[in-house]
Amino acid sequence: MTTYDEMHAKAGTVREHYAAYGRWLADQPGDVMKSRRDEAEMIFRRVGITFAVYGAKDEDGSGTERLIPFDLIPRIIPAHEWREMEKGLKQRVTALNRFVHDVYHEQAILKAGIVPSEQVFRNAQFRPEMMGVAVAGDIYSHIAGIDIVRAANPDGSGTYYVLEDNLRVPSGVSYMLENRKMMMRLFPELFAGHRIAPVAHYPDLLLETLRAVAPSGVNEPSVVVLTPGMYNSAYFEHAFLAQQMGVELVEGKDLFVKDQYLYMRTTQGPRRVDVIYRRVDDDFLDPQVFRPDSTLGCAGLLGVYRAGNVTLCNAIGTGVADDKSIYPYVPKMIEFYLGEKPILNNVPTYLCREEGDLKYVLDHLDELVVKEVHGAGGYGMLVGPAATRAEVEAFRGALKANPSNYIAQPTLALSSCPTFVDSGIAPRHIDLRPFVLSGTTVQMVPGGLTRVALKEGSLVVNSSQGGGTKDTWVLEA
Amino acid sequence: MSSVLRSELPEPPAAAAPAVVDVVHETVYRYARPVELAQHMAFLRPRDDATQRVRAFELDIEPRPAQRSDTLDAFGNTRTLFALTAPHDALRVTARSRVQALPPPAPAAAPAWEDARARWRYVSGVAPEPAVPFVFASPLLPLHAALRAWAEPSFTPGRPLDEAALELMHRLHAGFRYDPDATHVGTPVLEAFERRAGVCQDFAHVMIAALRALGLAARYVSGYLLTEPPPGQPRLRGADASHAWVAVALPQPEGPGAWLELDPTNDCVAGPGHVRLATGRDYGDVTPLRGVIRGGSRHELAVSVDSQPAG
Repeated sequence: MTTYDEMHAKAGTVREHYAAYGRWLADQPGDVMKSRRDEAEMIFRRVGITFAVYGAKDEDGSGTERLIPFDLIPRIIPAHEWREMEKGLKQRVTALNRFVHDVYHEQAILKAGIVPSEQVFRNAQFRPEMMGVAVAGDIYSHIAGIDIVRAANPDGSGTYYVLEDNLRVPSGVSYMLENRKMMMRLFPELFAGHRIAPVAHYPDLLLETLRAVAPSGVNEPSVVVLTPGMYNSAYFEHAFLAQQMGVELVEGKDLFVKDQYLYMRTTQGPRRVDVIYRRVDDDFLDPQVFRPDSTLGCAGLLGVYRAGNVTLCNAIGTGVADDKSIYPYVPKMIEFYLGEKPILNNVPTYLCREEGDLKYVLDHLDELVVKEVHGAGGYGMLVGPAATRAEVEAFRGALKANPSNYIAQPTLALSSCPTFVDSGIAPRHIDLRPFVLSGTTVQMVPGGLTRVALKEGSLVVNSSQGGGTKDTWVLEA
Repeated sequence: MSSVLRSELPEPPAAAAPAVVDVVHETVYRYARPVELAQHMAFLRPRDDATQRVRAFELDIEPRPAQRSDTLDAFGNTRTLFALTAPHDALRVTARSRVQALPPPAPAAAPAWEDARARWRYVSGVAPEPAVPFVFASPLLPLHAALRAWAEPSFTPGRPLDEAALELMHRLHAGFRYDPDATHVGTPVLEAFERRAGVCQDFAHVMIAALRALGLAARYVSGYLLTEPPPGQPRLRGADASHAWVAVALPQPEGPGAWLELDPTNDCVAGPGHVRLATGRDYGDVTPLRGVIRGGSRHELAVSVDSQPAG
């Protein structure tokens, strides 16, 4: 199978945008890289940049906190590639926001028969409670994480594809910021020798976005970050972003509703809340309307939201647009709402609920990646070419039992990037998650979070499945 | 906390029910300790639709709520949200409705059930039918193969949808026991199905889930049933209860389609004695009264419904 390496072209030559880095790397003795890696790990551990693994236990049976392995070798994106990708991301996220608005208002794209209405109505993330609700600026997904991979073409060139859209509560941006800080600390000379686009202003852009979508008439909006609490896998990130933005980090029990407004309890008495950057899933936001057993949200919140007295970022019900079964229709959304040709490519997708597609998938299980429609975190998926006979057969049973729960895609030859592993420097597969912010305008910091599958040959980059991260450099031309 | 409204087994509706019905639906919570803050949501105003008109409606809430808003939800029901911000040790919600039954429309044509199912399927470039949101699994009603297998014998090839649905209702009524102790308000549909017992909510859920498992569109109707006292006895206040039944979508050659309302608890087609409160995908969309409170400790709940011919 043809592969595409981000650093090396076919004949083992170094690509132009990696040239200066390649020369630097060739000069580094192996033990320097090793000691830098140990230093990085020690700092991450000391600062407490961790995530929690659900269902996992340490030897002592208590802690579930892990470090995300950090790789020293950056992923570098040349300026012209980023310019194109940025245009494509703005286009895609704009269309997705239009789609969510449409679903909860006119449903024009359903009435036109372009998106099958069942893709909306059978999705558990469709929230009838949001029908007709006016949200500030008609923006639903203020913070979107779009997962992008580069795959090899038969001629050896590479093409970027969008793998999935994360429009609910995408996480990982704190690692993007911390990875950059770490690289600047470990290798200051590299930053002197390259023109690398900065990312450190992400919290400023985020706060600007959140303030821009405050309820109308609020001049000095009060913004909070709502977290489910310290047991959530991304709690570090919630605390980090609140601290970086200089806003309060709150839990559901800190909030209450009175007179159609939302308040937080503070040591100086109740204070109004205008914008919530919420890292709590829809189901748990308001026990009055959604899961009645939730203690993570605030009763009556939806009433305040409907009255237009608070903005939720992201809005309720965005999951209707980032489901894996709606993904195949995103290019059509772009054409329908914007009248434009999609700039970013979609991966061809088989919908197992369609009889013809299902037959093809069952006949080609060993070539395809099969995913659960509602799955996340790399669980419940089959990577055909990497699976054993027994795994394939077990999955075949699950697939036949509930075909509509699955989609399948061809196995893309994900691009690789040199990675510092125990055996030295070796290629490992990577992806990219840029974070797209939608407020008055659509903006983002250059690059995003690069995740790397540390196991040789593995395509699963999720941190809960043994993935690591890299710093992502977008070169300023 | 949610209010639990269970049906007593009512008599089948009288053949000639009066055209106008008055309903008083009262819900009382008594709390062991004062509630400091409460947020409630009610679906207690009857619907205005092709079958009935609301002539008068009043919703009294004691103590007086600090806020109250009445809006339409996604399914066309009136949703009342209210908040109580002063400490209170009881809550009384009284809905008084006067509803006029409209003359029944001309009987709808019933296509073969497979043709109805085909109408709910996506066709590229064609607008979906209004009933399509009621074809799929909903939060309380996942689709189960067991329910499909149970329903299938009534759905023989080419059989008109109304005939097949009526038979399914007869089978449900005959094969299931009405038993308020068999289930509770949160019993999953599959459990009620396996026990072959429950109350009107379970009967309606089982039938809806079975119809949807076959690819048909069906929705949940919450409401009241006017009951006739035994001859010679006075009507007892509060002897009635809130009720629930099923509406099956019958696609029509033209227009938005019709709904056939079937009451599996009483094995009958819904008539003028059935008063529609709200309709949704399942009970969770149209729970008559639910809320979240801070404080209160334990609570006691009393619900009474009194419906009688207006006069």
